[in-house]
Amino acid sequence: MRKDLLTLLLIFMIAALLLQGLQLSYEDKADSEIDDYYKEHQSRTGSDNLVEAILLDFRAYDTFGEVMVLYVAIAGVIILGKTLKRRDDR
Amino acid sequence: MIVKTAGRALAPFILLSGVYVASFGFLSPGGGFQGGILLASGVILILVTHGRKEVHRLAENIDWFETFGAFSFLVVGLAGLVLGGYFFSNLIPNTPLMCIILDMVIALKVFAGTVAVFVYFFGLGVNEC
Repeated sequence: MRKDLLTLLLIFMIAALLLQGLQLSYEDKADSEIDDYYKEHQSRTGSDNLVEAILLDFRAYDTFGEVMVLYVAIAGVIILGKTLKRRDDR
Repeated sequence: MIVKTAGRALAPFILLSGVYVASFGFLSPGGGFQGGILLASGVILILVTHGRKEVHRLAENIDWFETFGAFSFLVVGLAGLVLGGYFFSNLIPNTPLMCIILDMVIALKVFAGTVAVFVYFFGLGVNEC
């Protein structure tokens, strides 16, 4: 019973937060000088696609981390597959 | 029979569109991740329709592709460190060389990773691997 009440309270709190988010206006954007920098220096990457320019040139280090996360996840799948296979063979 | 014929007819075009999306990622929407997924979906189509015997040479060596992709990404970054002064700097400034190389590497890696997941999850119930 107490658990149900707690869950209900949590749902209402999340709903209140989401409503706050919906009421934000699009006019007062956050100050951002970095997007001006990207637009000015896009020619240095030689890429016409700005998304690609940010992903693989300005923020390549970030993409490196992303690729490594993917690598570790798939290494986990491969280890799991090989272990289960060996257990089946026995 | 219908599924086999349709799979064999469709797979080359899916692979071709994957190569296109990956290699023109620096000009148009797309990129390494999306192109790699498209490439993988072509191979997975063959894997599903024809069984693993058709792709067993790829399936046996898929872990090596994955590792090669991940570490050549690191090698490209270190080459930027040596030639340009900082990690992942453009090898030749003002050219899209870095974007193209990294796109190819990411496409290879995502392709190998997705195919590896399917190969190992399909291989669990089958005795050949």
